[in-house]
Amino acid sequence: MKQDLDTAPAGAVAAPLPWWGRALAGGALAALPVIVIGLIVLMVAPGWVQNLTAMALINLMIVVGLQIYSGNSGIVHLGHSAFVGLGAYGMAILTTPLVMKKLSIPNAPFGLAGVELHWLPGAALALLVVGVIAWISARVIARLSGIAATIVSLAFLMVIHSVFLHWPALFKGNQGFFGIPKLIGLPELLLAACAVILIARLFRESPGGLQLRASAQDQKAADAIGIDSRALRRHAWILSALVCGLAGILFAVFSGTISPRLFFFQQVMLTLAMLILGGMASVSGAVAGAVILSLVLELIRNIESGVTIGGVTTPALLGLSGVALGMVIVLCMALRPQGLLGHREADDFLEKWRVSRTPGRNDRRDENATR
Amino acid sequence: MEYLIQQLLNALAFGAEYALIALGLAVVFSIMGLVNFAHGEVIAGAAYAVLLFAGLGFGAPLLVIGLAIAAAIIMSVALERVAFRPVRNAPVTTGLLTAFGVSIVLQNLFQLLVSPRPQAFPALNGLNVTWHLGPWAISSLQVMELAAALLAMLALSAFLGRSLLGIAMRAASRDFSTVRLMGIKANRVVAAAFVISGALAGIACVFILARRGGVTPDMGFSLVLKAFVACVIGGFGSLFGAAAGGMLLGFIEVGLLVLLPQEMGGLKDALTYVIVTMILIYRPEGLFGTRRDLGDKEF
Repeated sequence: MKQDLDTAPAGAVAAPLPWWGRALAGGALAALPVIVIGLIVLMVAPGWVQNLTAMALINLMIVVGLQIYSGNSGIVHLGHSAFVGLGAYGMAILTTPLVMKKLSIPNAPFGLAGVELHWLPGAALALLVVGVIAWISARVIARLSGIAATIVSLAFLMVIHSVFLHWPALFKGNQGFFGIPKLIGLPELLLAACAVILIARLFRESPGGLQLRASAQDQKAADAIGIDSRALRRHAWILSALVCGLAGILFAVFSGTISPRLFFFQQVMLTLAMLILGGMASVSGAVAGAVILSLVLELIRNIESGVTIGGVTTPALLGLSGVALGMVIVLCMALRPQGLLGHREADDFLEKWRVSRTPGRNDRRDENATR
Repeated sequence: MEYLIQQLLNALAFGAEYALIALGLAVVFSIMGLVNFAHGEVIAGAAYAVLLFAGLGFGAPLLVIGLAIAAAIIMSVALERVAFRPVRNAPVTTGLLTAFGVSIVLQNLFQLLVSPRPQAFPALNGLNVTWHLGPWAISSLQVMELAAALLAMLALSAFLGRSLLGIAMRAASRDFSTVRLMGIKANRVVAAAFVISGALAGIACVFILARRGGVTPDMGFSLVLKAFVACVIGGFGSLFGAAAGGMLLGFIEVGLLVLLPQEMGGLKDALTYVIVTMILIYRPEGLFGTRRDLGDKEF
């Protein structure tokens, strides 16, 4: 069966690539605009634009992480920010210098107040913690049907958020956790974003990813050909959590200060709107949605805080960006539920364009892609 | 003994509130498969509406109650027209995300148009007095809440069991297309579901206002999330399951409040969700759910 899955979609391509080759090439194509924008910003833009770009890249990583689960399994995931928060707090607790810890969390349990790790083992350990929590939660989530899974994923977010808030000895509660060493800048984030895009693409094109997408489209047919969709949903959930956790870790060492508020609804709806706008079912869609909405939102934020046109300053409109995000979701669902890119990846568009220039060939992959 | 009865009443009142909200969600879900995240904003919208009317001088408690219910019904039906009708026949996920988007839009509109800060609303505080029955001190609000929830459920079950529209609604939750073949208008059935859901939201809104004495933009959201969880424990789409799940959630919460030491009180919500998830490990379809109620077509 593995053989079939490997060769079938590649049949229409002139030079058949193995699935990982296709994934890497397609992923590189999807990452290309991100790299170009990133490099331009890095070379010519002033500092504050670089900071905004860095935050957009972190959001992009979260969106791609979300895509790994939601896009392939077809189940809406509203709790991914919990993993971002876990990654960020894990990194913060493990790598913050002891001097700063004496100020912020002097009474941390499990002797964590006396721990100061180098960034590499710190990040690895934080990812491990995220992975373990993801593994436990995956056991529960994978058992539930679509809607129930969505609601429980939201409940999971509430649980983690509530723990961040009400365990001040370890997480410092409502106040910000400060003093995390600032280690990275835009170049490192750019690199990580590309890596994450490639990982997501590799998972999507892998036999497991293809099987999971198949089971999302028709559970019965997938069961009938022996696909273990539960196990695959678990794997996707864990991989998605690890990517989100990585984004959290990078956020912690980029900004140096974190607080529970950052990893809550605001972030969930922002990243969800990005994913929906671009198209849940493809990694390129996730990237496109993140890039477009990051740009649009920056514009709206300027209006939100009041603009001066010809000497007249508009009042601050708190909540405008939230209304805009919600409207993006509602309008997308009413007008184009599959998102801007639908089920297609960037390389599918390239392929379609190439095929349309060579007459007399039908692209079979495309027909499969559009439901 | 006194303490025990007090806590029992507490649990019943909490449970009644969750049950009211959960029923409002389940009525809509069972008929059109819509996971209505915007239900909480219907509650908040009704609260802002009565706040507005109280500002205009209509602050008599009975009037406020009527206004809250009317506002919630209008808002619920309006949302169906504007936002949910275009996605009526779409997959469940599309409806869920639409409702989530509507909920975000409304929450931020409340922020934008009124204020992100809580607004005080003391007009209903008179409902919350302490009654002394023999040796027991009982909060009148809790008794009323319980009574109102019971009445609402009885009325709902009478409506669903006896009236033509009610029977059509129950039939529609099984097989909507056959109901339409029998000559029942789809729009009427769906509108009826939203009217009922809105009325239940209005009743819940009155009690939330009376207890908290204030309005915030996100006042409905966390409650609705809990009500959703109640629906999931009870079995998604089953009305009885929603009510039972709400009651169970009330008991779990009060139980945790009683058992948890003071300094861990903040973790009550987290632990409630954890316990609920444990239940789901053993019964993924909920306590009273069947596979069909989950919206699966495999049965």
